[in-house]
Amino acid sequence: MVNPVLLLAVPMGLAFTVPVIERITGRVSRWVPVAAMLFNLVLCVRLIPAVLEGPVIVQLGGFVPPFGINLYVGPLGLFFAGLIALAGLVISVYSLTYIRTGPLARYHMLYILLLVGATGVALTGDLFNLFVFFEILCISSYALVAYNGDRAGLESSVKYLIQGSVGSSMLLVGIGMLYGIFGTLNMADIARSVGMVDQGVLFVPLIFMLGGLGVEAAIFPMNAWLPDAHSSAPSSISAVLSGIAIEVGLYAVARMVFTVFGISDLFLFLAFLGVLTLLIGEMCAFAQSNIKRMLAYSSIGQIGLILFALAVASGVTVTGGLFQFVNHTFSKGLLFLSAGYLIYRSGSMEISSLQGMGRRMPLTSLAFTVGSFSLVGLPPFAGFPGKFLIVRGALERGGTVIVVLTGLVLLCTILEGAYFFRVVQALYFREGISGGSGERAPAAAAVAMILLMMLILALGAYPQFAETFLRSAASDLMGAVEHVGSVL
Amino acid sequence: MRVLLSLAVVAVLAAGIVTVLRDVPFGGNSSRLGSHFVENGREDTGAANIVTSVVLGYRGFDTLGEVTVLFVAAVGLGALLVAGEKNAPRKLEKASMVLTTGSRFLFPLILLFGAYIFIHGHLTPGGGFQGGAIIASGYLLVYLGSRDRRLGKNWAASIETGGGLTFVLLGLAGLTAAGHWFLSNFLPLGVPGQLLSAGIIPIIYVAIGLKVGVELTGVIDSLMGGTE
Repeated sequence: MVNPVLLLAVPMGLAFTVPVIERITGRVSRWVPVAAMLFNLVLCVRLIPAVLEGPVIVQLGGFVPPFGINLYVGPLGLFFAGLIALAGLVISVYSLTYIRTGPLARYHMLYILLLVGATGVALTGDLFNLFVFFEILCISSYALVAYNGDRAGLESSVKYLIQGSVGSSMLLVGIGMLYGIFGTLNMADIARSVGMVDQGVLFVPLIFMLGGLGVEAAIFPMNAWLPDAHSSAPSSISAVLSGIAIEVGLYAVARMVFTVFGISDLFLFLAFLGVLTLLIGEMCAFAQSNIKRMLAYSSIGQIGLILFALAVASGVTVTGGLFQFVNHTFSKGLLFLSAGYLIYRSGSMEISSLQGMGRRMPLTSLAFTVGSFSLVGLPPFAGFPGKFLIVRGALERGGTVIVVLTGLVLLCTILEGAYFFRVVQALYFREGISGGSGERAPAAAAVAMILLMMLILALGAYPQFAETFLRSAASDLMGAVEHVGSVL
Repeated sequence: MRVLLSLAVVAVLAAGIVTVLRDVPFGGNSSRLGSHFVENGREDTGAANIVTSVVLGYRGFDTLGEVTVLFVAAVGLGALLVAGEKNAPRKLEKASMVLTTGSRFLFPLILLFGAYIFIHGHLTPGGGFQGGAIIASGYLLVYLGSRDRRLGKNWAASIETGGGLTFVLLGLAGLTAAGHWFLSNFLPLGVPGQLLSAGIIPIIYVAIGLKVGVELTGVIDSLMGGTE
C-alpha cells in the first residue's frame, strides 16, 4: 500500500523546487501545481480501498504515538485530501492562463503550499502539528489575497492578516493550555482522558481553540475579514479560499468538538450559531451589487448551513453536511472561476454591467448558471442531495428548536435563490451593454469550467456513489472512541 | 459602558485562565512525554542535545512544517513587495569607512559562528534555525556596510531549493529504508556526543541552517528594495 504521507511530502518537495525551476526556465513553473495535485488525486483514489477497511495510522519518524506525531487517515481525512486535490487540480488548470502578471513563480509556490497546509490539517492526528499546517494555510492565503498588488487587495490582506493572527495566537494558547492539562498533544490521547478531568477547566481552552479556528472557518461573529479578502483576491484564489480554506477551518472545528473534546452539550449552541451565520451571510449577499462580494457573503451562508448540519449531529445530517462541503467546493469554485472571466470581459464587478453576457460569453455564462442552480439546491445538480439530506435528517431528529431552525434554513434557501436568479436573469434576459474588452475565456479556463460542470451534474445524478463513502466519513467524524482505539 | 463591558469580559477570561493554569505544576515533571524524552531521547535519536532529539527526532515532522512556514512567509513577503513596487529605486548614501571595514572584518567570523551553531545542533544548544538567523545577521551587516552588494539570486534559489529538498528526500529515504516510516532515522546513530552521530539529524540541521540563512537574507533583501 502507498503511504499517505506522500500526500504532503511530494507537493511540499515540488514547491521547494520551484525557485530553481524558475531560474532555469520561466515557463515550466505554472505546471508544477497541476503535477502536484494530479499526483495527490491519483494517490487518494489508490488509498480508498485500504481506508474503507479501517483508518490508516502513519507514525512519523517511527515513534509510537503519543511520543511521536501521527497522521490519522480515516475516510474523513481522505475525503478532504481528495476534495482538495480535485479542486486544486481544476483551479490550477484554470490558473495556467488566468494568472498572467506579477511574480508568477511565487504565486505557484504559495498556491501549492496553501493546498499542502489544508491537506495537512485534514490528515494530522496531533494538535501542534495541526497548528503548524494551519499556519502554512493561513500565511499563504494572506499573501495570495494581495497578489494583484492593488490597494483593495493590500488593505483586505492586512485586515485578514490581523484577524487571522489573533485567531492563530488564540489557537496556540488553547493548545498550550491543553498540553498543560493533559501533558500530551496527541488528539487521541487527549480524547481518551478528556472525561477524567474537571469539565470546568476545559471551558477556556475550548473557547480559545474554537475562537481561533472559527476565524478561518468564518463563523459569525469572526468573519469580518472574509467579504473583503474573497472579493479582492484574484478569482482563482477566491475559489480556493471559499472552496477549500474555510471548509478546512470548519473541519478543524468539527474535529475539536467531536473527537478531542467530545462535548455534546455544545451542539445546540453551535446549531444556533450556524443558522445565525447562514441568515447573516444570505441577507448580506442579497444586498450586494458587486458580484464577487455577493459570492463571498454566500460562502459565509454556506458555512453556516454546514455548521448547522454538523451540529445537529445525526448520521444523516452529518452525511448531508459533508455532501454540502463537496457541492460548495465545486459550485462556488465554478462561480468564482466563471465570474473571473465575466469580470475580465465586462471590465467591472457590478452585477448590472453583466447584462446580456449570456450571448457574448455563452460557455462562461452557462457555467455561472450551473453553479448558481447547484448552490441553491435545484434537483438535477449536486446541491440538491446535500440540502435534502440535511433537512430530512434535521426533521427526523425532531425537537421544537431544531425544527424551527430548519424552517429558517429553508427560508434562507429562498433568499439564496432570489439573488442568484437575479444575476442569471441579468446574464440572459436583459439587453446587453456594449463595451469592455472582447476577451473570451481561453481553452484552459474552459476545460476547468467544463470539468466542474460535469462533476456537479454527475454528483447530482448519481449521489449514491458519493453517499456510501460519505456515510463512513460521517461515522469517522462522530466516532471518537474508534479514533482513540485505532491510534493508541 | 463599553470600557466596563470590556473589563468584565477580560475579568471572566482571566478567571478562566487562572482556573486552567492553577493546577499545572510548572517546572515539575508533570508530563509523561517530558520524562520519556529525557530518559530515552539519547538512545532513541542519538542526539546529545535533548531539545534537538525532540525537535528533529520525535517531532521532526513539525520542524518540516516550520521550515515550510518560514518559506511561505519569505515567499509571500517577496510577492507582496514585488507587487507593491512601483516607484523608482531610492538613492542610497554611502556607508562610512568604519562600518565598511568593520563589516568586512566581522562577516567571515559571523558566518563561522553561525555554521558552528547549526553543525553542532545535535550536541550543544542551538540548531538550524538559530544558526541560520546568525548567518542572516552577517549578511545584514554586509548590506549595511556596502550598500550596492546583493545576494546572488541563482545561489539563493539553489540553496533554498537544496535545503528544502534535502529535508524531504531524507524523509522519503526513511520511508524506503529500514523503519518504513517517513523521516525515520535510517543512518547509524553512533556514539551520542560525537560530531558524527545521531544519523540524519546533523544533515538536516545543516540543510535547515543554510536554507533559513538564505531565506532571512532574502527577507532583508526584499525589504531593502532589491527586487528581481
